[in-house]
Amino acid sequence: MREKLGLATIFKGLADIIWRAVPSLVTTHALVGIVHGIFTGLGAVAFQRFFDAVTEAVAVPGALAAVYWSLAFLCFVHIGKEVLNGVHNFISNVLLMKLNGYVNLQIHAKASRMEPIAFENGEFLDDINKAREGAQNSLVLILISSTIFTFYLPYFIFMAVYLYSLKPSLALALVLVFVPTAITQFIRSAVFARLEDQVAPKRREFDYYERCLVHREYFKETRQLGAVSFFRRLYFTALRLLQRETWRAELRTNLIELGMNLVSFAGYGGVLYLLVTSLFRGEISVGSFAAVFASVGTMFSIMEEILVRHFGEISKGMGTVRNFIRFLNLAERKGDVAAVARSGDIVLKDVSFTYPGAEEPSLRGINLTVRSGETLAIVGPNGAGKSTLVRLLTGLYLPTGGEVLVDGVSTKELAPQALYEGVSGVFQKYQRYQMTLKENVMISDTASNSDADFKAALTKAELDLDPGTFPVGAETMLSREFDGVDLSGGQWQRVAVARGFYRQHNLIILDEPTAAIDPLEETRIYKQFEEMSRNKTSILVTHRLGSARVADRIVVLDNGEISAVGTHAELMDTPGLYQEMYRAQAQWYAS
Amino acid sequence: MEIREKEYGILDLLAIPFRCNWAAAGFILLQRVLLGLVPTVQVIATAAFIDGVLDVYWGKGELADVYGSLLVMVALVAYNRLIWRALSLAGVRLDMGYQAGVRTAVTAKRSRLAYHHIEDAETWDLLNRVSNDGQTQILGGFNSLLTLGSSIIHISGLVVLLFSQVWWAPLLILAFSIPLFALGIKGGRATYEVNREVSKYRRRHEYLGEVLLSREAVEERALFGYGEALNEKWNEFYEKARVKQYQTQRKWYIRMKTGSVITAITSFLIVLVLLNPVLTGVISVGMFISLVNAVFGLVQVMSWDFTMVMDQLARSREFLKDLTEFAKLEETPGAVELPARVIPEFSTLEFKDVCFSYPGTEKMVLDKLSFRLDAGRNYAFVGVNGAGKTTIIKLMTGLYQNYSGEILLNGRELRTYSPSELKAFFNVFYQDFSRYYIPLGDNIALGDVNHGYDLTQIEEVVAQLDLDDVVSKLPEGLDTPLGRIKEGGQDISGGEWQRVAMGRAMYNPAPVRILDEPTAALDPIAESRLYQQFEQISQGKTTVLISHRLGSTKLADHIFVIDGGTLAEAGSHGELMEQGGLYREMYESQRGWYS
Repeated sequence: MREKLGLATIFKGLADIIWRAVPSLVTTHALVGIVHGIFTGLGAVAFQRFFDAVTEAVAVPGALAAVYWSLAFLCFVHIGKEVLNGVHNFISNVLLMKLNGYVNLQIHAKASRMEPIAFENGEFLDDINKAREGAQNSLVLILISSTIFTFYLPYFIFMAVYLYSLKPSLALALVLVFVPTAITQFIRSAVFARLEDQVAPKRREFDYYERCLVHREYFKETRQLGAVSFFRRLYFTALRLLQRETWRAELRTNLIELGMNLVSFAGYGGVLYLLVTSLFRGEISVGSFAAVFASVGTMFSIMEEILVRHFGEISKGMGTVRNFIRFLNLAERKGDVAAVARSGDIVLKDVSFTYPGAEEPSLRGINLTVRSGETLAIVGPNGAGKSTLVRLLTGLYLPTGGEVLVDGVSTKELAPQALYEGVSGVFQKYQRYQMTLKENVMISDTASNSDADFKAALTKAELDLDPGTFPVGAETMLSREFDGVDLSGGQWQRVAVARGFYRQHNLIILDEPTAAIDPLEETRIYKQFEEMSRNKTSILVTHRLGSARVADRIVVLDNGEISAVGTHAELMDTPGLYQEMYRAQAQWYAS
Repeated sequence: MEIREKEYGILDLLAIPFRCNWAAAGFILLQRVLLGLVPTVQVIATAAFIDGVLDVYWGKGELADVYGSLLVMVALVAYNRLIWRALSLAGVRLDMGYQAGVRTAVTAKRSRLAYHHIEDAETWDLLNRVSNDGQTQILGGFNSLLTLGSSIIHISGLVVLLFSQVWWAPLLILAFSIPLFALGIKGGRATYEVNREVSKYRRRHEYLGEVLLSREAVEERALFGYGEALNEKWNEFYEKARVKQYQTQRKWYIRMKTGSVITAITSFLIVLVLLNPVLTGVISVGMFISLVNAVFGLVQVMSWDFTMVMDQLARSREFLKDLTEFAKLEETPGAVELPARVIPEFSTLEFKDVCFSYPGTEKMVLDKLSFRLDAGRNYAFVGVNGAGKTTIIKLMTGLYQNYSGEILLNGRELRTYSPSELKAFFNVFYQDFSRYYIPLGDNIALGDVNHGYDLTQIEEVVAQLDLDDVVSKLPEGLDTPLGRIKEGGQDISGGEWQRVAMGRAMYNPAPVRILDEPTAALDPIAESRLYQQFEQISQGKTTVLISHRLGSTKLADHIFVIDGGTLAEAGSHGELMEQGGLYREMYESQRGWYS
């Protein structure tokens, strides 16, 4: 079970991050906020002073100095308030953008320190996928909380003191503003999430049928089948249902809101009553009345801003904030950083492996020694566990049972840097980085920066820098989106091979590509694989049994277990899965 | 509603909502006008109230006289706070009207588009923008226009009031403030350009962020250990975007706050102008106080509201450009019709010197390609990647018609057939076949939309494809929705989806059956099995296999080898092997591994 994170823990964790990232900006933001809050309150005072002075001057002609001074003060306060409002909000934005950068750097760093298996773990995947969004929400959360203390609170304290000084009972106005708004928000959060939940499935269905009609993945087939009218029918039925549900939900929502508006209007009426009776009794001046009357609206809207908008945002984003904090707490790979030479054997002792959340192990009872310098092929049907076995050999995954020893040291005890030193590979789902050609190749070894090695890797991968394909040579951006070029599947494959070559290696993994390539290209790739594995320990994963023949030994995997190990000749001599599969494939090529 | 072809302009931000739901739009318009008048009435009522109270103070009046104006003040506050619920409901009606009227019309037009638009990346972005942002931009623009109108009424009301008190005051003020506002609005255009630049950097760092965090890249990321280096690069792009954004935002804030400071100064001027009249008794104290309050209240309106409205209108205008573009996109007449009811007789299909390049590109994908298919035989197209095999299918089925040369179906030019007739000829099993999240039975029945759902026939298909195990596993058998869209929907595996798609193909009565190269996700054994199954269920039909893997293509009676967009070789497997050309080379290169 995952731990439940308390609010206090979350706040403390977030506050730490922010303080560490931008201490001076945070301080400035707080100070400007306080002054801004006070100036907002001062607006009412300035009005009152000015109105009183004018009323006085009308009644008693000649008292003009007070009028001009209070007018100057009024202007100063208003312009100051506007400028402060701009500066305060601007700093908030700057703060958010800076923090966002900082937090994302932490997220990325964390992701590269994490156990790779976490990405296969359904329980964590949500935390990982939502980490970024959660980080963003965390920042908003913390910024809002800090603004409450450094802006809203000073404003309301100021107003309380001011109203109290006018007439003690007027301070009650703040309660009349606060209580209805708070009740409103409480009801809102309780009711609205439920209403939205009712509408969401209908909206999903409507959106989906639209996809069936117009989206790329469906377009051709829907048109060719003549199924457009079929989906149009479903689309419009879904639309009617969606609209009915939406209207029902919205009607209820708005009726409830209307009730709540009436409550807040009653609060407003209460404030007005206090003001008018005080005015009638002569307890406050006409100027005070006009100034406070004008600021009641402001008080309500500021209170609504805090309770409705900000708290609404916070409660909506809270789920992902938890994702983010849990993400930061995910297990990291630790271990000895002393490098192993990767020149010795890799020994698997009674290794088993179960994916997190899976009931059945993907591999079990694996005993195998990969000898230094040999070429080992791993074959077997889809889903036999070939790729999993490779990930255990490289140390990417740690066995859930038994041990994998590299140069006599268990992979569990080695730090990733040490473990992957001298390991390279071309993977089944190799990445097509939207970067320049050079970056695409050199990404396999970012510590080195050798032009000669880069050229050598291109040559070995038979990648020509012909200007037709690569208009600006090595610096050609391999992405249409970033104003570069698109490569064909075959060319991408060569880029991946060059990437594998570029990294210094004693052990190389060659996982057969799944991308569609034609026979000539395929044959060429196997030739390159042979080239890469010369004098190195190499592991070849393949569907094409014919290509496994070049290996010194072949491991036949079936349903998570090793069903046979041997040379091609040995395996062909014994009846079994290998022989069967080989014959099934070779029959197409029998003359 | 129809998406008419025309230049969409700012007035359409009013016209479209009225067409969606005229009652709701009209109600909103009326209320926004009234809301614009409220501040002026409020000023008059407040002035009367204050003057009344002062009269009582100064012993010139009765308290009973002020209740009337107090009542008006309260009523206005009530209207102002409560009318928003009615406006919100009218807004929902308008949303619904948009969804039912415009969004479905956009979808309808999209489903009729000429196919080349679908494969064009830029058009694709346009299509998504029009579908996804339409409601926000059109109705948001409508609201912004109304806010603008409401603010103008609000300001004009005050100006008129001012004019009635001191006739020359507004003239002075207008002369002073109009040039300043014009300046402020002008500044708004520049920021739009900068935003485009920012989004360029943003896309870069967002992409790198994906690489650093995605599940797909985890293997290379861990093994190659590039996390740290890439993170630095991420930071570089992020900072570039951030600094640019910082500059834009600074401008934005300065623009907005200049507006409000100008308004504050204008208010100050107004107060100065009014000061003498109030002191000399030309206007009453109450009128003075409530006017000053109202005029300073404008500062609020002029800062955030005004800037937001301008920003929204700028976005809406961009959207209207998109909509204009969208309305111009070419449609294929008859594209969405059902296949012809009568199953046509197929005798021959002939390509004669067909040349083709994709719209907007130079490269000849097909270059004088000629071949001929006869009824009842099994054909295979093979060739290296990019040789043009899949393009042939797109031309055959009429997705592209801008070829030169001739394609003769039963001796008649393909382009003279209606889409509906063509659909009845061909049945394509695409490599990226659709996984429709509808009940399993419907997934199969879609193969023959004219015939529809026929339980006996579907059960036959299920039996023949050994789909029984899948059906019996599902809680409601054939009626179980697949996928996670409908409640109670069930997920099935990729292999099972493929068999369902195969079932759909079997259900399809078209005389020519095409199998586009199955994805590489299949291992060679599974692929061969797929081919064999396909041949089995296609007894008596003309079949066309597209493949780059040889071996299984031996199943075909006749093989066409395509190279560089033209026919390189043709013949049976045996004949091609004897010819010793490209086919043999490819075949041998694979056989080499097995001998």
